[in-house]
Amino acid sequence: MIKVTLDVINKCASSLKFRLSEGQDKLILSDFDTVLAQIDYLKSIPGVDQMQEMTFPYKDHQHKMREDKPVKPVKTTDLLKNSNTKIGNQIKLPKVVGNENE
Amino acid sequence: MEFEPVIGIEIHVELKSKTKMFSSAPTSFGQKPNSCAVYYDFAFPGTMPVVNKEAVSYGIKVCKALNMTINHTLYFDRKNYFYPDLPKGYQITQQFDPIGRDGYLLIETKDGEKKVTIEQAHLEEDTAKQLHLNDMSLVDFNRCGTPLIEIVSNPDMHSGEEAMKYVEAIREIVTYLEVSDGKMENGSLRCDINISLREKGSKKLGVKTECKNLNTISNIKAAVDYEIARQRELLMKGEKITQETRRYDETLKKTVIMRKKTDAIDYKYFREPNIIPIDLDDDFINDAIYSMNKLPYQYKKDFKAIGLSNYEIELLLKDRQVVCYFEDCLALGVKNPSVLVSLISGDIMGYLNKNGKTFKDLNVSKENMVYLVNALEEKKINSKQGKIVLEKMLVENRDSKEIISSLGLQMLSDEKAIEKIVDIVIKENKQVVDDYQRGKDHGLGYLVGQVMKMSKGQANPIIAKKLIIEKIGECPKVNTNH
Amino acid sequence: MSNLNSLSIHELHKRLVSGEITALDLTKEAIENCKSDSCNCLEATCYEEALKKAKSITEVKEDEILKGIPYLAKDNYSTKGVETTASSNILNGYVPLFDATVISKLNRRGMILIGKTSMDELAMGGTGTTSHKGATLNPYDKERISGGSSSGSAVSIALGMVPFTLGSDTGDSVRKPASYNQVVGFKPTWGRVSRYGLFPFAPSLDCPSYFTRNVLDSAYILSAIAGHDEKDMSSSRRKKDVYEKFVKHHRTLPKVGYFKAVKDSIPSSKVRRAFDDLLKKIEKAGYQVIAYDYPIELLNALYPTYMIISCAEATSNNANLDGIRFGPKPQGDIKTYSEYMLEARTAGFSDLIKRRFVIGSFSLLSENVYEMFSRAQKARRMIVDNLNKFFDKADYFITPASFSKPKKINELSAAWSKTSDFLENIMTLANFGGNPSITLPLGEEDSLPFGVNITGRIFEDGSLFAFASDVEKITGIKDVTVRCR
Repeated sequence: MIKVTLDVINKCASSLKFRLSEGQDKLILSDFDTVLAQIDYLKSIPGVDQMQEMTFPYKDHQHKMREDKPVKPVKTTDLLKNSNTKIGNQIKLPKVVGNENE
Repeated sequence: MEFEPVIGIEIHVELKSKTKMFSSAPTSFGQKPNSCAVYYDFAFPGTMPVVNKEAVSYGIKVCKALNMTINHTLYFDRKNYFYPDLPKGYQITQQFDPIGRDGYLLIETKDGEKKVTIEQAHLEEDTAKQLHLNDMSLVDFNRCGTPLIEIVSNPDMHSGEEAMKYVEAIREIVTYLEVSDGKMENGSLRCDINISLREKGSKKLGVKTECKNLNTISNIKAAVDYEIARQRELLMKGEKITQETRRYDETLKKTVIMRKKTDAIDYKYFREPNIIPIDLDDDFINDAIYSMNKLPYQYKKDFKAIGLSNYEIELLLKDRQVVCYFEDCLALGVKNPSVLVSLISGDIMGYLNKNGKTFKDLNVSKENMVYLVNALEEKKINSKQGKIVLEKMLVENRDSKEIISSLGLQMLSDEKAIEKIVDIVIKENKQVVDDYQRGKDHGLGYLVGQVMKMSKGQANPIIAKKLIIEKIGECPKVNTNH
Repeated sequence: MSNLNSLSIHELHKRLVSGEITALDLTKEAIENCKSDSCNCLEATCYEEALKKAKSITEVKEDEILKGIPYLAKDNYSTKGVETTASSNILNGYVPLFDATVISKLNRRGMILIGKTSMDELAMGGTGTTSHKGATLNPYDKERISGGSSSGSAVSIALGMVPFTLGSDTGDSVRKPASYNQVVGFKPTWGRVSRYGLFPFAPSLDCPSYFTRNVLDSAYILSAIAGHDEKDMSSSRRKKDVYEKFVKHHRTLPKVGYFKAVKDSIPSSKVRRAFDDLLKKIEKAGYQVIAYDYPIELLNALYPTYMIISCAEATSNNANLDGIRFGPKPQGDIKTYSEYMLEARTAGFSDLIKRRFVIGSFSLLSENVYEMFSRAQKARRMIVDNLNKFFDKADYFITPASFSKPKKINELSAAWSKTSDFLENIMTLANFGGNPSITLPLGEEDSLPFGVNITGRIFEDGSLFAFASDVEKITGIKDVTVRCR
């Protein structure tokens, strides 16, 4: 486990693309005291780590895939209707600089 | 110090299903920006992924062709990161349980056949396309969600040539399977090549660089060879390799740095909670496998068996359309396959190229083609005539049989008519006949030639030869070795 | 003048069929009710479209049970042409292009959407106080919370604005506020109703859910919205039922179980007495009542398991909220795409949401995922396995839906709860297991209502209604609105 510090918290925030307001990182740090204690509690339950992870509430084998039939695309003007950063028929953003990626 | 290059390759192949991986929007290439998307592709809140059956079936074919173990349950996971070309803020992929594992591919290098092992293949969705202008970037979501299969090799390759052959083989397979256009130049097949050097004999891998932006097969060899040389030079100087992403610059003929790998991004993978794992029933998997097209290596084997040379096979295999056409012709009864190969690779491709057409545009029926090929083989017409006939077939879209007879090109096969000419030729060439009968066997060829000349090339030389021998007998065998 | 919208759906239906009232009467009245909202229940409204539709309904047939009935939907359902924000600033101004499957099914049945209700921001909360427009007030005591996250939907139906409201339930987001507001809150089996168009919070737990004022109405609604949807792969292909028949034909099952640990630790004597009394009456009505020893260590695991899973899933589900394709454009001098997203998201989410996201995100980091998210998923399996063992012995799980009075708004804390009080989180069981679960009114403490919650086996939504209907008869509390008191 990564040790929780203010730095780690702020990095988490920036990887989620937001800034924390003044003092929030300290509050999260104190939240973590509780969270980590609760994690320890989960760990202490006999047999828990031998379980398989559960994502879906139950097994259901009736799920089917979709046929490869195209639908009519949504009109470009409709798709862009809600965007506040567009030009012509495209979304417009500040220039993406190579190094920003990954 | 001697170094050994170690190369692993990740290949993203765009699958050409009609719709996207998780939405029913049509897949597209070259359409107007944002004209091929539905709500899901824009990640409007509440939209959900629905798996495309055909894309999965394509995935199974690829896995089977690469000799992989196919997972009978389909799982998807989320890869989380923020980027303008990723509208959901995550990509749905198969991180933990890919559709295929543990495969291999045989490639032919100048040192012989080589086995490249493949770690895994997984299905995922493509990102949107960005256009970078001077002062802004534009985002077009048409490509967003296009099905991809990513094929990850083990670090089994050791040279630019091997890397190139590997990618070429994968490209051949996906195009032969008709699951992808496999076009590197427009990004429907993209590869990331990891290259590192290690001391010969060492097991430990060196620091690697990742090479992107390779849009032709030949660039792969060039880029890998350059990168190997670059790394070797640095290591020889005692310098360190830095982990970075590089791209191949075609004009500089060099790899240049794109970005350093600083803090590796944590993708926070977890199982996609909107797609309950799908049990692929045996029928579905078997249907995909049974409906697979014949693969290049299978053609190679068959063509070798009918006596084609490696060179001829290579000519044919360049294009699956050609191979299929060729094979269909064979089924109709081609007497000499090599004649057909040379017609296709020579005159036909020449004509198509000149007219900016591809093999798909060829409008000559297989029956017509076979008639022409066999007419040539049986010497009903000679090769010069063959060219004339073929041109008329291509340009005027006419029947080969009809052209041959209408042009009076059909060789004289009427024995009585030929016999008349033969008689004249024998009479006029007494000396040659005498010499022949004393053992100078080349006289026969001369006489046949004269018959051809007199018939203006129309006499069937096989019949002429037969008649001459009937009349003047076989050439006696003269023992010259006393 | 009496308020028609305080009546039940089936009663209104009778009057609509007879022609005694019209859809337009009901709709006009519902709009007036909304306009006099005293508890901050509402987000966007769509009065004009509602009136237009109501005018077009000239006749209601016997078998058109929902036709002409007005309703409100929680603001996390995609509604075509009606602004939908999930009560978060990051979605201000977003006008969806399409209807959620649930919305279109209801609309096709002739129901009339009047507007959208306030909620805890992005459904991540249980108090009803974290909407971008401020707290939704408890109609029984405006200093107290209404419960959440489907706060506006719970309060508006309690106020008699409309006879039906849509909510959604990830932890107990419909069933807890139902308890505080003396209405019926129902969460169907996960997968029974399509989630398409419901803004995701934690998809493996999320369930379209809703409020009515009696059990029969609740059954009618499920009959209308259940079924497979090709737009939601996780929606079940199992045959759906005609759920009201289970109520009308009393198709119930015999065994009712409770957890000893729960019953033994009810803090409020009022709640304890009401619950004890109810169990006795249930037994008297012919049911077998079973005390069950559900492992206490798993009850104590409910809160952390729920919080870790839901916060982790939520960080990812809300990653599409970046102000690019929809949502407000960020202010200031923005030079890179990264700054664009950063400013949009910094301004768009409240502090509380960010705190939850940071913790959820931390639990997914590759170095932590095993210890945190995976472990919570393992605990979830253990919890569900044990719940299923319970269901081997009993047909229904019964518990009080709330154990103490709703908190005062000014006493709330935003911190991660230290005491993982299992009573407060007991209803998450049904989300972990995907079970159908219903809350109905049970009693009052100092004029503040509390409810009882019943959970059934997955896909036994019908028999759950049948039993709930018996409980409703026993308590005698139904069709309650604040104004009828």
